[in-house]
Amino acid sequence: MAYEFTKEDLQEIETIKAKYPEVMPATLPTLWVAQRRFGHVEPEVQRLVAETLGLPEAHVHGVANFYTQYYKEKKGKHVLDVCTCLSCQLCGGYEILHHLEEKLGIKAGETTEDGTFTLNQVECLGACGYAPMLQVTNDKYVNHLTKEKADELVEKLKSGEELEYEQIKMPQHKNI
Amino acid sequence: MPEIFIDGHRYEFEGEHKVLQFIQDLGKEVPFFCYHPSMTAPANCRQCMVKAGQYMKSRETGEYEVDENGDRVIRWFPKLQTSCNLMAADGMVILTQETDEQVKRAQKDNLELILINHPLDCPICDQAGECPLQIQTYKYGPEGSRFEVKKVHKPKRVQLGPRVVLDAERCINCTRCTRFTQEISKTHQLTITSRGDKNYPTTAPGREFDDPYSLNTVDICPVGALTSADFRFKARVWEMNQTPSIDITNGKGTNIDLWTRDNLILRVTPRFNSEVNDHWMPDAGREAYKIFNENRISRPQQKLDGEKVLSSWNNAIATLGEQIEDTDNAKIVVIASPHASVEENYALSKYTNLLRLNAPVFTSHIEEGTGDGFLLSDDVAPNTNGCRLLGFKELDKSAISKEIQKAELVIILNDNLVDRSVVSADQLKDKFVAVFATNNSETAEIADLVIPITTAAEHAASYVNVDGRIQRTYRAKETKYTNRRIDLEMSEGRLDRYGTNFDNWVTEDNKIDCMPMWEIVNNLADAAGLDINFKDGREIMDEIASSVSNFSGVSFAAMDEQAGIQLSIKKETSTSK
Amino acid sequence: MSTVDWKNYTPVLLPDIKDLHKIDVYTKNGGYKALKSVLTDKKKWEGPKAVVEEVKKANIRGRGGAGFNAGLKWSFMPPADGGPRYLACNGDESEPGTFKDRKIFEYNPHVFIEGALIAAYAMEITTIYVYIRGEYKTYIDMMEKAISDAYDKGYIGKNILGSKFSVDFYVHSGAGAYICGEETSMLESLEGKRGYPRVKPPFPAQKGLWGRPTTINNIETLSHVTGVINNGAEWFSSIGAPTHPGPVLYGISGHVNNPGVYELPSGVPVLDLIEVAGGMRNGKKLKAVIPGGSSTPVLRADQLDGITMDSDSLRTVGSMLGTAGMVVMDEDTDMVDVLWRIAHFYHHESCGQCTPCREGTGWLEKILLKIKNGDGEVRDLDLLLDLTTQMEGRTICALADAAAWPVRFTINRFRDEFEARCIKKAHAVA
Ligand SMILES: Cc1cc2nc3c(=O)[nH]c(=O)nc-3n(C[C@H](O)[C@H](O)[C@H](O)COP(=O)(O)O)c2cc1C
Ligand code: SF4
Ligand code: SF4
Ligand code: SF4
Ligand code: FES
Repeated sequence: MAYEFTKEDLQEIETIKAKYPEVMPATLPTLWVAQRRFGHVEPEVQRLVAETLGLPEAHVHGVANFYTQYYKEKKGKHVLDVCTCLSCQLCGGYEILHHLEEKLGIKAGETTEDGTFTLNQVECLGACGYAPMLQVTNDKYVNHLTKEKADELVEKLKSGEELEYEQIKMPQHKNI
Repeated sequence: MPEIFIDGHRYEFEGEHKVLQFIQDLGKEVPFFCYHPSMTAPANCRQCMVKAGQYMKSRETGEYEVDENGDRVIRWFPKLQTSCNLMAADGMVILTQETDEQVKRAQKDNLELILINHPLDCPICDQAGECPLQIQTYKYGPEGSRFEVKKVHKPKRVQLGPRVVLDAERCINCTRCTRFTQEISKTHQLTITSRGDKNYPTTAPGREFDDPYSLNTVDICPVGALTSADFRFKARVWEMNQTPSIDITNGKGTNIDLWTRDNLILRVTPRFNSEVNDHWMPDAGREAYKIFNENRISRPQQKLDGEKVLSSWNNAIATLGEQIEDTDNAKIVVIASPHASVEENYALSKYTNLLRLNAPVFTSHIEEGTGDGFLLSDDVAPNTNGCRLLGFKELDKSAISKEIQKAELVIILNDNLVDRSVVSADQLKDKFVAVFATNNSETAEIADLVIPITTAAEHAASYVNVDGRIQRTYRAKETKYTNRRIDLEMSEGRLDRYGTNFDNWVTEDNKIDCMPMWEIVNNLADAAGLDINFKDGREIMDEIASSVSNFSGVSFAAMDEQAGIQLSIKKETSTSK
Repeated sequence: MSTVDWKNYTPVLLPDIKDLHKIDVYTKNGGYKALKSVLTDKKKWEGPKAVVEEVKKANIRGRGGAGFNAGLKWSFMPPADGGPRYLACNGDESEPGTFKDRKIFEYNPHVFIEGALIAAYAMEITTIYVYIRGEYKTYIDMMEKAISDAYDKGYIGKNILGSKFSVDFYVHSGAGAYICGEETSMLESLEGKRGYPRVKPPFPAQKGLWGRPTTINNIETLSHVTGVINNGAEWFSSIGAPTHPGPVLYGISGHVNNPGVYELPSGVPVLDLIEVAGGMRNGKKLKAVIPGGSSTPVLRADQLDGITMDSDSLRTVGSMLGTAGMVVMDEDTDMVDVLWRIAHFYHHESCGQCTPCREGTGWLEKILLKIKNGDGEVRDLDLLLDLTTQMEGRTICALADAAAWPVRFTINRFRDEFEARCIKKAHAVA
């Protein structure tokens, strides 16, 4: 088999299993472990997960395909998930998406030829107040996007720079 | 006793009942798709909507409360309910589409929604004619469609496994197929993939749906999404006749239906029997349709100077009679068969007994590893227990060989002893071998005399399964000597009723030149001056019931009424795991 | 109409305390006192039932959207039988317009953990799971840390604070599915399956996780429990709108100057809330407000006078408080676009299990797209309205309702705008 978990992965999976009274609940977290290790959960990886947990392959496949965050095929090095849902739509999410489409020369759902970027249009990411925004490869949120900020982000990722967590201060209400 | 009111009628009930099942058991109808009595109820199709309420009872008196007009007060559930997962309760009031406009409307609305993304393939769809979606749309659906936008497209003609083909666009996502592999066959080979209106059932990537029970999903799929790779496009449902039967490829005695057109069996499907196979059957048994059509022995055959030649019936009967007469009784071995029915075995034994030949012996047909703890047993013959209950001596392989060794004339009732390596062709070389057989085989090949007999599809006869249940078959196809038009016991198809004489059942070649064993016995007896006059399986069973105590109380009528009859067998004779 | 004194309100869930997410800072500020009280103060709390009663009295109406009294829900749990019982904390937070629970994960995780522990004690729960949407990876990591700190300090685990009460507490990450916020879908997802909502009955209190009694509460709901135990039910129920009392985390987004999450009493006037969030952006006029997440019926600006953010008041104009995630739209907003986008969301998120939702959400979206593209006809609007009645109340879970309501109410409340879009095309073609 082309894909194998490391010893640490297997240890982590054991820790995960210990959280639940049965093995099946470990399906989602183990898919996460796999995706972090291999960058995707292609069919081969799904099979590895099924074998590791001793669960039916079809089950793992059905689960992997229900949840949008699992990459069922290889993606670019950086996946830009641009939210265009309600509040982001109102605040220019589509403009950001289209700007990135132009900049990267791909359409939403596609990956650049060099495999650096995948661009997606996604549903609400729970950052409505900080619209428009996007999420990078299932991890950091980039908020309050403008075209300039989007450009900067692309350059930053290209240069291999780590993204910082953008903390958003709690606004305290002012008496009006 | 608790009572429930359905469309204004009062019914009493005991125990736990799902309302939909309860209504069906009353012979009434509520349309549905996803519910299946042998599986969990996910209530996902939303078709079986009814209006449900509860007659209010006073806390103090326990009496029903009444309003100012004296009518009982009903508290309706705020929403329509799916009857498939609604449990009947005392004082429950149910209105179906028969009596309630809101329910009627909801069912129609739901059908409209099911149909918007459904490819209206009925003219080329295998399911047409037996399609719940088609039928219910006729009965309860909307006229026309208001859907003017693009349909969702999904994979078509997907070979899910060796025997099952998927058309995902026809799928209505009832999850019966996936539940089957999870709850019944337990292979867990199927899952629904994707989400929302992109959902469809599939196997894990690169895996085959080779579940040994896979074809049951085709039966329970309420649409033409899952079809049988073998049966696909072979026949329209309304061209076939459906005849109850028993699976003769295994000792389990799975209840089946044979589907016939023009004297060919085209498919085999399971028939419900809660005591034997519930709604299911193994894929293996479905292949059996071929043995009724193909490779049949048609007309008696005789070896002349080492050459097999066709013979006349008269000649064949006379030859066997002469052989018996010319051979020392002690040198004749009569081998009965777990592969033949109770009646066939009995008829043969009656004849040989009257001739005072050695009592018939038989050997069971066990194939270790076939049994799966579900619907397959290691015993692959349909009537081993029948032979035992008739009192035949059961011999193992070496004992049978020894008997044969001593014999000069070997009479074998439908059992491919050479093929299944009980005896070798060599052992039979210098003997006269007469076989009564349905299909060509190595055993028939080496025989000196081959007399063709009817299969389970051509006769009505009984078989006792591994658990001691006696069940019977019906005539599903004609032989050269029978005529469905005058045989009132044979099933009628839609074409018989509505078609012309030229529509079907016209190909003479599909009728086999064979006879039921008991008719052959009549002729043999006649030639030997014995008084045997069997009419049919029904009469023979009556005779057996009165003369063999193990079968007392058994009759065709009783078997029909009780879906088979449990006989008492010695426990260790059961080989089902 | 009562006026809620919100101007002098001081936040309790998200107070302005530096580093409150650190367990030491939290305890220094009175943290875990409530837990200690219910576990050890036998005079005050006779036992678990007393805690349930107090919470019931406080009338914490579920902050996940349905607004059900939390204490009352807890009381549905059958008597403990020695077997496992579960609390599933709902941090799926995926309804468009909603982004409040993440603030608790980030700024005050222990107020939630403490509330959940108290709930667990009250219901004799043996294991707590907090289900957090997979996209909140940052907050999942923060919660893992907070929980592990609480384990270390002995607030979670065996014999907590020397009492007989023991409980485990785990994070379970989602992986991208709005439907998993529906409570029974969440249970399926926790069990490692596709997030198909379950048919009810049986209800989770009878048969929840692995067939055992289970209660599901929203993160904010559970966080309020801590305050109720510290300050009493009366304190809580006297805050804000009487029938829907207590502090609320309002998430305000859209065309305002300072969008964000604001903790204020329930019952703040809608228009005031817009001012709290800095008023309308670019000096534009207000056109419409979606008060509590995308599924709550949209309100026109002219409907908002005197309307306050609580269920009773919103009901008078035909809407709901939902998750209190308010989306503000200015005069330039294209309601057809907005409605199409909402319909797209529900179409994308339908689990596909049951017919009316699987088929209906797609049909709604496709017709709306047609209208948005200028190819619609007026009769399509009536078809849309008809479809909403074909979906509503006929499905396994409420997602179909959530998809139907915005369509019905947006069309009804902005019919002219929709008709104009249809008619324009009719003229252009002619
Ligand atoms: C489609 C759908 C999505 C939901 N999403 C969420 C969610 O993201 N977070 C949440 O707390 N409740 C959500 N709910 C409500 C939950 O089903 C449940 O009522 C709630 O978690 C109970 O907690 P509460 O009583 O504390 O509000 C959703 C309900 C539906 C029907
Ligand atoms: S599944 Fe039924 S309704 Fe659909 S095309 Fe086939 S016969 Fe017609
Ligand atoms: S393929 Fe048939 S049985 Fe399977 S889910 Fe679809 S409609 Fe149901
Ligand atoms: S209403 Fe929609 S989301 Fe809910 S169970 Fe049905 S299909 Fe799934
Ligand atoms: S049969 Fe009841 S919902 Fe499908």
